[in-house]
Amino acid sequence: MIHIVYMSRAVRPLSDQDLQELLDQCRRDNAARDVTGVLFYSHGNIAQLIEGEAEVLEPLFDVISRDGRHSNVVKLVDKPITERSFADWSMAFHPLEPGGFEALQGFLLPQHLPPPPSSLSIADAMLVDLVKLAVFGADATPAAPEPEHA
Amino acid sequence: MREQQLRDILGHMPAGVATLQGQELRYGFVNEAMRAVLGAAVEEGDAVAEHPGTIPADLLEVMRQVYDAGRPYVAKAYSLPLPATDGGPSTPRYFDIALEPVREGNGPVSGLLLFAVDVTVQEEARQRAHHLSIETRRLDTRLRVLTETVPQITFTVDAAGKFEYVSPQWYYFTGQPPTADLNAIWPLLIHPDDRLRVLYQADTARTSGVGWSYEYRLRRHDGQYRWMLSRALPELHAPDQAVFWHGALTEVHDQRELADALRRGEAELRFLADSIPELIWTATAEGFIDYYNHYTGEYSGLTKEELGPTGWINLLEPSEQAGAARRWVQSIATGQPYEGLFRMRRHDGRYRWHIIRARQLTDERGPRWFGTCTDVDDQYRLREVLQTQYDELARTNRDLDTFVYTASHDLKQPVLNLRGLFDELRRTATFNDPEEGEIIGMVDEALGQLDATLQDLAATVQEQRGLSAPVEALDLRSVADEVLLGLRAQVQESEATVSLDFAAAPTLTYGRANLRSILHNLLSNALKFADPARPLHLQVRSFLSEAGQPVLTVQDNGLGMELPGRPAPVFQPFARQHPHIAGAGVGMYLVQRIVASRGGHLEVSSTVGEGTTFTIHWFED
Ligand SMILES: Cc1cc2nc3c(=O)[nH]c(=O)nc-3n(C[C@H](O)[C@H](O)[C@H](O)COP(=O)(O)O)c2cc1C
Repeated sequence: MIHIVYMSRAVRPLSDQDLQELLDQCRRDNAARDVTGVLFYSHGNIAQLIEGEAEVLEPLFDVISRDGRHSNVVKLVDKPITERSFADWSMAFHPLEPGGFEALQGFLLPQHLPPPPSSLSIADAMLVDLVKLAVFGADATPAAPEPEHA
Repeated sequence: MREQQLRDILGHMPAGVATLQGQELRYGFVNEAMRAVLGAAVEEGDAVAEHPGTIPADLLEVMRQVYDAGRPYVAKAYSLPLPATDGGPSTPRYFDIALEPVREGNGPVSGLLLFAVDVTVQEEARQRAHHLSIETRRLDTRLRVLTETVPQITFTVDAAGKFEYVSPQWYYFTGQPPTADLNAIWPLLIHPDDRLRVLYQADTARTSGVGWSYEYRLRRHDGQYRWMLSRALPELHAPDQAVFWHGALTEVHDQRELADALRRGEAELRFLADSIPELIWTATAEGFIDYYNHYTGEYSGLTKEELGPTGWINLLEPSEQAGAARRWVQSIATGQPYEGLFRMRRHDGRYRWHIIRARQLTDERGPRWFGTCTDVDDQYRLREVLQTQYDELARTNRDLDTFVYTASHDLKQPVLNLRGLFDELRRTATFNDPEEGEIIGMVDEALGQLDATLQDLAATVQEQRGLSAPVEALDLRSVADEVLLGLRAQVQESEATVSLDFAAAPTLTYGRANLRSILHNLLSNALKFADPARPLHLQVRSFLSEAGQPVLTVQDNGLGMELPGRPAPVFQPFARQHPHIAGAGVGMYLVQRIVASRGGHLEVSSTVGEGTTFTIHWFED
């Protein structure tokens, strides 16, 4: 099993509908291929972590990186892992009309994103924190408070 | 018959034919085509002046003059406003109109022969050609002005590589006379090192019918070679058949020099970074490392790929990774410099202490991070050794003080006894010695001196250590905070949590140095005897006893100890509960002495493996 993390820029801003279509399509296709992970989107910034079998993930990443909806795809990590860190596939973004989204399967508001799971190595968890920061900016990722001084 | 035939032929001719008779120019024969031209129905015998149809006044006037002068006339491309056939607005049509005077025999002019040949199509074509040539001339002028005013040299080459055209800038730039043979001279002006390449590239582009873009050095009028960018595109006359290449030469010397300097500068910096025996790296604005210097690979034994954009975290001592990662994310979020002291794993698995520092550089290329990891392992270890030695010395010093203090205190009684015995001896015994008085006096004096010296010693030590400082109302929390500040290294090291609860009795009237000494000894003791199996939890509490006297407890969950038997054990100087741990013993002895000297007492309860609680009753109930 491997996981891949990349960042990219949307060619033009994705609308609520674009995002929901992507969410629906990916949830369906990823579940069928046993691909899990998470996608962050904000103001044209995209970052995605996918995990699954190498035979599935390598060609999938090829398809995704050639998708005309985004460009400047920069792969940050592509390496073997021993266990999954995400139970299914989800997306986090700020919809213009939040109303309908909150109930959607696999959708998260950026401020409700849980911290990176502990099954990730600290280096990989930091990587996820950094891409989250790069996509959503400093406001959505409150820095953990310094441990209280005894 | 012949005349009828002639009429038929004339009648069906595509050109208009009409005869006009007499001074009044009355219509005679008018064929079909001429009727169409004249428009209105004309009858034989009508005078033209009365039924001019489409014939304008000026043509009528010319007809009269031709009649009078008897000389033929041809009006070329004469415009007649014929009504459109479908009743729309009339469009001008053009006719070559010939007027031929007719004479009977050699007599005077008796009429006119009128021919009208429709030349509208030819005329329109001519007019179009005329407009086109005007437009072409205009474009030509514009192109010439443009090509001669732009700073670039423009040129046209044919498929054989011969120059068709070059703009005047070429002569200006190269300083060649206008008579120079372009094709012969141009290659000679290219820098010898670039010549073959340029000729080859141009040739290849021409044979494959594509454009080109390359740079080379061209000799300027002053003999200097300047970098030029040559770009050209083919002009295709049929698909795949290029006939000409049109292009421009732009001087890019300065940009090129700048780029070269930048490249050189970057290469030099990289060389520098790779030569330094220190870990150096750069990171993107997002916080991903995009460059590790050579030494990083050497130190870690890992390649750039193995390290990856965040892999440096893996080099840190595992217990330090989470904190280091959190602070890096914070620095990226805020732009604050990063600094920390961490152990980093070397290729052989040994950890060495490093100071990791990173700062953000912001310029027009956007923010980037530059970082270094400086090996301070030797300094760190030296400092640790020095600190241990210093602590040891300080403790020995304190022990010595305490020893002197106790010794002087403990010697007081024997000296007192000695004096008593001596007084007794002097009273009961007699010495057979003439110098008896003098000796007794000397012994007396020596005893007095001994007593005074002991008192001075005790006083000095007491003074030095502030043991006799005046009492004052002290805020327990602020004194405790001060003490903890001094112990923060040990607190961090043992990952202890300390909870202070002074709410029930926040102040204590005591000597400041004494209180500090007591707290310091109790807390540092607890820190020393922490159980490595669990994080230390220290609880300090202050309250009032039933009798209203202040009490302080210090409770830990450390190793605990065997108590030598109840009631409260007596702490002997230099006696250690845990021989494997440095520097206990005197401290607790001192605590007990201080507390006792102020009229209080110290209790201790302890369970091995669970922890110890010290209770100080500051004053007896
Ligand atoms: C930012 C982004 C992320 C995507 N992530 C996934 C994904 O996780 N799984 C997936 O199947 N398709 C994903 N896609 C869509 C694929 O690029 C592609 O459009 C989709 O797989 C449909 O491919 P197909 O037409 O070959 O079936 C993503 C597209 C974009 C733009």
